[in-house]
Amino acid sequence: MQLTGMLYGAELLKHVGFPTSDVLGPEATEDEIQALIDKCGSVFVKPVFKGGVGKKGKAGLIGRATDLREALAEKQRLYFAEHRHGNVTAKAQGVTFEGAVPAEFEVYFSISDSTVFRAPTITLTHMGGVAIEELDKKYVAHIPFDPLTGLKAFVIANALEDIGAPQEIISPLVQHLPKLWELFHHYGMTVLELNPIRMTPGPSGRLLPIACDFKCSFDRDDPRSTRLGLPASLFSADFSDFETEINQLRTYQGQSDVFIINPKGTILAPTFGGGANSLVTQVLGDDAIISTDFGGNPPYAKMREVARICFSHYLEQANVLFVIGGKANNTDIYETFRAIADALRQHFVEHGPTPVFVVIGRGGPKLVRGMGAFADTMDALGLPYAVFGFDSAISEVVNYAQRVNTWMQEGGREQLAAHMRLELKA
Amino acid sequence: MNRKGVAGFPYYVGIESLAQVATAEDTICVLNILGTESRQVTPVSHAYSGGNVVFGTSAGHKGEVLVTKAGSIPVFDSVREGLDAGHHFNTGVVYLPPSGVRDGVAELIRVNPQLRKIVILTEKVSVHDAREIRAFAQSNGIDIFGGNCLGVADSWNQIRIGGALGGDHPEESLIKGSVAIYSNSGNFTTTIAQYLATRGWGTTTLISSGKDVYIHFAADEFANALANDDRSRAAVMYIEPGGYYEQNLHLTKPVVACVVGRWKSKLTRAVGHAGAMGGAGDNAESKERWFMDAFEVDEIFTPENPVASAKGAVVINIAHIPLALNKVAELNGFAPDFPPTGDLTLKPWLGNNQRLDLPPEIDIPIAKAMAPYDLQIALLREQIGAVVPRQSMRDSSGATRMDPATQITSVHGYSVLDLARLPFEVNLALPLVHETVGEQDRALLHIAVAGETNLVGDPALAAADAARDAGNAPNLVMAAAACMVGPGRVDRALRAADRLIDLFGSSGLHDPYDASFDLGLIPVDDETRALFLASDEEASTRAQAMLAAADAAGGGSVFLSFVQSLGGRVHQDGVLAAIAMTLAWGPLMRKRISRLTAATMPWYLRLYGVMIGATMSGTRHRPGALCDIPDAELFEHTTLAELAFLALTGKKPTAAEVRSLETLVGLLISNGPGAISAQGAKGAVSADGPQTPERVQINKAMVGFLTHTGFSHGGNGFEGMAFLLDRFATVDVGDPTDPNHGLDLRAMATAYAREYKQQKAQAKELGASGPPALPGVHHPVFKGKPVNYDPREQFFATTMEERGEYNIFHDYFRELVQALFDVGASPYVFCINVDGMIAALLLALLWPDYQAGRITEAELETAAFTVFLLGRMMGAAAEIDDHLNRGRNMDTRTPASHCKFVT
Repeated sequence: MQLTGMLYGAELLKHVGFPTSDVLGPEATEDEIQALIDKCGSVFVKPVFKGGVGKKGKAGLIGRATDLREALAEKQRLYFAEHRHGNVTAKAQGVTFEGAVPAEFEVYFSISDSTVFRAPTITLTHMGGVAIEELDKKYVAHIPFDPLTGLKAFVIANALEDIGAPQEIISPLVQHLPKLWELFHHYGMTVLELNPIRMTPGPSGRLLPIACDFKCSFDRDDPRSTRLGLPASLFSADFSDFETEINQLRTYQGQSDVFIINPKGTILAPTFGGGANSLVTQVLGDDAIISTDFGGNPPYAKMREVARICFSHYLEQANVLFVIGGKANNTDIYETFRAIADALRQHFVEHGPTPVFVVIGRGGPKLVRGMGAFADTMDALGLPYAVFGFDSAISEVVNYAQRVNTWMQEGGREQLAAHMRLELKA
Repeated sequence: MNRKGVAGFPYYVGIESLAQVATAEDTICVLNILGTESRQVTPVSHAYSGGNVVFGTSAGHKGEVLVTKAGSIPVFDSVREGLDAGHHFNTGVVYLPPSGVRDGVAELIRVNPQLRKIVILTEKVSVHDAREIRAFAQSNGIDIFGGNCLGVADSWNQIRIGGALGGDHPEESLIKGSVAIYSNSGNFTTTIAQYLATRGWGTTTLISSGKDVYIHFAADEFANALANDDRSRAAVMYIEPGGYYEQNLHLTKPVVACVVGRWKSKLTRAVGHAGAMGGAGDNAESKERWFMDAFEVDEIFTPENPVASAKGAVVINIAHIPLALNKVAELNGFAPDFPPTGDLTLKPWLGNNQRLDLPPEIDIPIAKAMAPYDLQIALLREQIGAVVPRQSMRDSSGATRMDPATQITSVHGYSVLDLARLPFEVNLALPLVHETVGEQDRALLHIAVAGETNLVGDPALAAADAARDAGNAPNLVMAAAACMVGPGRVDRALRAADRLIDLFGSSGLHDPYDASFDLGLIPVDDETRALFLASDEEASTRAQAMLAAADAAGGGSVFLSFVQSLGGRVHQDGVLAAIAMTLAWGPLMRKRISRLTAATMPWYLRLYGVMIGATMSGTRHRPGALCDIPDAELFEHTTLAELAFLALTGKKPTAAEVRSLETLVGLLISNGPGAISAQGAKGAVSADGPQTPERVQINKAMVGFLTHTGFSHGGNGFEGMAFLLDRFATVDVGDPTDPNHGLDLRAMATAYAREYKQQKAQAKELGASGPPALPGVHHPVFKGKPVNYDPREQFFATTMEERGEYNIFHDYFRELVQALFDVGASPYVFCINVDGMIAALLLALLWPDYQAGRITEAELETAAFTVFLLGRMMGAAAEIDDHLNRGRNMDTRTPASHCKFVT
């Protein structure tokens, strides 16, 4: 759940009274754009992306205009711009017009939780506007602070002192930066980054920090972010229909974390436990359709619903249904297996049978009862299966599932379909 | 901070040695002790640890207790109440929901000055709360494990605090030894301990660290405590991407680090472990490098490339941990704690290859599970046959399914179009074994059913004849006979079948034709002999003829050999049971069918025989012969389809006529659970109560099906024939299967189409509803296109073409649908429907006899109805068996709210 750009960033910063550049959204009229150019001298035209999209400037996706004609031309260029960063391709949905802010200094500021200090930590430099990693470390301050007392002015002052920041920016930053803690801590953020904050002279000549770009991440597990009243559609780019459906079931009792790895994969692997998830995801690679963690002793009803959703989206394309986990500590295997098996049976009833080889690897409480219930269902459905206990290495079981997948790809699926008297869809 | 911690850390750490993590002196208070997870887990921990939980809290549950094997744990509303009651504890365990965890931690810290440790099990604690929890604990000198962890355990002290390391049998995994475990994964903490034991390694302290963004007792603290723990000679660390906890570790004892999650760098969102998202500097590759640098190795350890140093080894596969540890220990000169207890090779505990042609690397034989699971699986295997859950089966079926798009029904996955190509015996077996049977099974099924068809001296024949004489349609003639095959008439056969399952169920017999099976393994007592063998009065030549026929057909099975080895003449019920079990055994062992289905099979076989026999009048049943066919010939040289044809027409059929009859019967087997006949059968089962299956009268269910057929449902095949008879009344057809008939079918069709159009026009002028719909053409689903086809008719047309067969009546229907369109009597070319196809096939079969005057029009109608009943008898058997296995008592009842009153 990430948010980038000033369109919403400016709104959020207003909650804590942090000054921002003037921003117009995609719906701005020509008169409004002209007025902004008249006021600021020029405007930056930036594409609006959902989710966390960075490095727009380096990708040439930031335009600057000093008159309306230029601004509209940039709007046309960037309105549906596409941007690839890392594994993520994003498509713009509009542009913002942001008034230029004259400044002598650009500041980088962020708050996040550091695993080195195990505390909330600020990162601060007076040489912002560039990628922080590229700066000489002596100009960058990483300062942890006590979350119970919050980010205090002295923390900022000391940090700026440490990196030799110019005297004239210290006072305004000490005055304004602590406000950001309120936004970060009380609205469920895990990262808040302003880069650049442009230090622009106010009417009195005193510098004023103006946030000119905004980036934040929200904690999925923290309901505080809902206090901001942001539209859910802002984060919709993060989730597929399948993930959204599963996320409806997201409660603390039993995990239901899913991530689509390869929508054209052929192994459907409901995985139990974060450890198993890491291992299975790694070994299966692109063969896996989804990466999941359904551990945490999910109750029967939740597990059945989760399985139902998985099957309704992906069972037909799957060669292998791979139910895998280590030796569970407290997940009731009987309940979870019964739930998956019942969902499988129900899926066959509602959508017809599909040729799938079932591979199971598991250990834990009520193991044999659970295996028995699952096996009974597969026998009744006429599916081939192999069930492994925890005395088979989980990684070997994953390899076995892959071998089955290969066999299915090389004619096994047709053989199984013929055995089940099914016609394969082209 | 007001408490002094371990020296050398820039933050508070209280635990100096792993020996202090979970000790016998620790006393515990569990928050939300009566929550779903704690309620299951805490009693096991408490009992395993010798009763270390002093009390728990659960708001609103003051005064209650949590019962455990080590005594009841008192429950209070709050921590303060527990302390006020005189309890003392130094460790808090938190099972609260995520939003309550921070407050719970604050409560523990604020009200209990003796607190030293907290274990947080809850997952999905917000980062906001985690950072505050960290700060509380730091300022008050408390060690925290978790959140989102599975607690800590000590195999030496046999103590488990919080969570459920080792599951519900901790002693299985927490085996005393010399290796400490630190794991980001709770599940893998136990799994690794289990894996280590296979190579002879036991454990000291096990820490499930959790993998949230904040890990409070992290790798650094573990490394320090490991160094100070005399019991631990080495450690295993299971590490996932995300965070810098493992960078620059100061390890003083050998460690195997398992770093997993390279692929996670492709994820853009955490799955499972909230903190397992690595950036550029803290991804899996970085962490592998940190450990490799620490161990001074330059490659990952694998069995093929066992790179390790005395300081340690890095693996990326959890299964390689034990081997890597062996190597590292060897370099350090110390040996495993005990002899190996197993290995981690692939060992399927359960499996079913469905007789597919699997390559050997997939088709791994079932292995014996480790104790005590082997015994549990053995018990599981004692459960014979499939188990299906019961549910309301109103309008539902697990046996038949009609595809609403194609209108083609399947029975146990077999399309009726396919069934129409199969022999009669195969289709009779399908409802009972849920799959198609082979040659040997076919031969035996034939003998079993044929053995029941001659009803001479049987009240069923008297009942059938009486029903026939009273002018009843063939459905009630069959029903009258079926009524005589009540529970009392099959009791012995059913008991015999059940006994065979008991005797052979755990014998290891999988193939009922296994000639090498040693019958000496089967214990036989006098009661068993009495059950299967006939007394002098009971002995029948028919039973002997059946056994002889089975031998002659090469169908001798283990069960038939068994009943013949009992030392006497086998009772016909014994033969029936032995044949039934031969048919059922494979599917039963493969759990394709339930024990109930197998055990009731003799009833269906007897009903089949009696119902077929009842279609023949009493005069055709004579001692030792049916329709003048002696028993031996009937069993050995006559198929059931031939017998049925004989019953319908009084003559032996040609091969083509047999094929036509089998085609018709196969096609008619089922129209899904919504068909009235199926509803009749299901209602009859439901009314007896399938939840007490022994009370369900299967013959009554057959009667239910039969009474739910009639002149509109089953008898209407005659309408098509009557229509054709009218159309061909004045012409000389000759052999209806000869394409060289010399008739101008197009002219005949066009003439009738014009006549039909005129009738429609006249009716319209008179304001009447028009002439009756034409039988055999048009379908509510297959309509509206310029030219329409019923796929079932297409299938048969193709089949006939393949076989080089011809049917003049079918050809006429083809001309008719075109002519109707050509003259403007239909808006498009109608399809020929399945009723038209049936009428054409049936009339062609009976035409010679009808033309020769050997059968009347009424007998033609009876024959059409009977063919329907023979086919649907098999479909009814499938529904009855299915409802018996799956249904609930009275489940076909319509709720009063769905019933309507009309005036």
